[in-house]
Amino acid sequence: MATVEAIKLHKRYGDFVALDDVTLNAESGQLVTLLGPSGCGKSTTLRCLAGFLDPEGGDIKLDGDSILKLPSNRRGFGVVFQNYALFPHMTVAENIGYGLRLRKCPKPELVRRVGEAVDLVRLNGLEDRLPRQISGGQQQRVALARALVMKPRLLLLDEPLANLDARLRDEVRWLIRDLQQQSGITAFYVTHDQSEAMAMSDMVAVMKSGRVAQFATPREIYQKPVERYVADFTGEANFLSCQSVNAQGAGQYAIQAGGAALTVAGVPGLTGRAELLVRPETLRLAAAGEVADFNGRIVKSAFVGASLLCEIALPDGGVLKLTAPPNTPVHVGDAAAVVMDRAQAWLMPEVAP
Amino acid sequence: MTAKTRLRLLLCIPAIALIFVFMVLPITNMVEMSFRTPGTTDPFGDDYTLMHYTRILGDGYYWSVLARSLLTAALVTVLCLCVSFPIAWHLSRARGLKAVLLYAAIVSPLMTGVLVRNFGWMIVTALNGPLNETLMALGIIERPLRLLFTQGLVVLALVHVFVPFMVLPINNALRNIPESLGEASASMGASRMQVFRDVILPLSFPGIQPGMILVYVLAVAAYVTPALLGGQMVSVMPTLIIGELTGTFQWPFGSALAITLSISTVIVVVTFTMLTWKLMERAKA
Repeated sequence: MATVEAIKLHKRYGDFVALDDVTLNAESGQLVTLLGPSGCGKSTTLRCLAGFLDPEGGDIKLDGDSILKLPSNRRGFGVVFQNYALFPHMTVAENIGYGLRLRKCPKPELVRRVGEAVDLVRLNGLEDRLPRQISGGQQQRVALARALVMKPRLLLLDEPLANLDARLRDEVRWLIRDLQQQSGITAFYVTHDQSEAMAMSDMVAVMKSGRVAQFATPREIYQKPVERYVADFTGEANFLSCQSVNAQGAGQYAIQAGGAALTVAGVPGLTGRAELLVRPETLRLAAAGEVADFNGRIVKSAFVGASLLCEIALPDGGVLKLTAPPNTPVHVGDAAAVVMDRAQAWLMPEVAP
Repeated sequence: MTAKTRLRLLLCIPAIALIFVFMVLPITNMVEMSFRTPGTTDPFGDDYTLMHYTRILGDGYYWSVLARSLLTAALVTVLCLCVSFPIAWHLSRARGLKAVLLYAAIVSPLMTGVLVRNFGWMIVTALNGPLNETLMALGIIERPLRLLFTQGLVVLALVHVFVPFMVLPINNALRNIPESLGEASASMGASRMQVFRDVILPLSFPGIQPGMILVYVLAVAAYVTPALLGGQMVSVMPTLIIGELTGTFQWPFGSALAITLSISTVIVVVTFTMLTWKLMERAKA
């Protein structure tokens, strides 16, 4: 459908820098997620793409042409808002058909396309209700249908699931992803929920105070983060500090961490102090007689049903969180040997690049 | 009766008493008065009659004054709406000091007493007043314009003073429209005019309707402004009524005129409310 490039976007509000050199791109048909805490600039970026805000610097290109001068009503993008922004005085069908009506779409075609959109989001029977007469999940689906019925060149979604309860969120998340893939529409998706970002996206941009900390695939973001901030934001993580790293060529390093000598992969070009990222799921308690990577002492354990959460203190002061099978016999104070999937450990600079 | 309901009734008593003493009693008295026979020595006689109403309904003069009253008020209301909407829009978008200053400017017509304000209009628009002198000095006009004692000036002065009653409810309604609705509409291709027509205007109706009713009722009942600025040339119902009550002391006839005006106003307001019922129902968020 369309490729989109945001190039070095800048935006400030007084002294506050909202966007600082934000560069992103979406290939045709991709869903790109902007992930980050509130105030990181993800919504500002989306609003710039939509044309609701003008960046002070940089450019936005659609299929290679700048659209910065194009007002939002001429961009032809579908936007789904966090609060849905349904017109409260229009029925479900009128909301969905509003854009088509503006385009002077002939009545029979309008009725047909609104009907298709209603089918698509499974709102049959609710066409004549007003937004306030349907549930939040249904309102969300109206918002989605309203954006998709226009066959937009680009779909922009601003935290569309934030106001839904957990069960609905799951359902609508898959619906959004299915519809986006079926129609092949390029999409930008803003969220602060890492699992949403992971599950839905082709590419994820993790944002940090107005900048893009990392722009990569969900797998890379999770397994090969460029800094601790990214690792922290994308899931449970253990960090072990290393005093010095010894490059072994091609992003491989020999290090001392948590009282063990290891060779691990990491961000290329590291020198000096570094941090080792170890995801809890890459750790397990060693079986009897097995060679352990780390030896420590259990300081906490909690039974959470499906598993047992353990915290293990290491000799150098580091702490490892891991999950063990629910009936593992562990006692606080016991010595514990831990095995790590070394291929999944990842070394990052201690300070952000 | 539980203690709670008793307390509730108790709390209602001051309001009920106020309405009873200052509204129900006087209106009852007015209605009764309007059926009295005219008096010769007293302002009213001892017997009851329908003659005042038959006189009003049978005389084209009273019909024409009533019509002028209702139409003038309607004109004032519509002009007030046109003037007030943009002001309300700006007010609803203003923040901080700008909002405070705008509020002050908007309610400023209400800060001067009704007499002072109208004398001000008389001075400004007099034949040799500053307005005419300025226009003549600038060479825009050759002879002074007769502005004072015209219906146009009465309308202008009423619009001026009633603008706050229209701006404030519309401002309220506009503030309740999330900005994202305009953005959503624009993202679907709506121009600014279309956003206004399809989203802003219908959703501001919960402010427009009460504003229009308020201004209409106030404009129909306005006495001082038509009396001072309209002079003898522009008779409206209130000037006529006051004339009967305090000039010729025809209390029964004056009361009948007042009741006629009240009933007419109620009919207009109820009709307007019913015609706009659908719009209102939809816009209630």
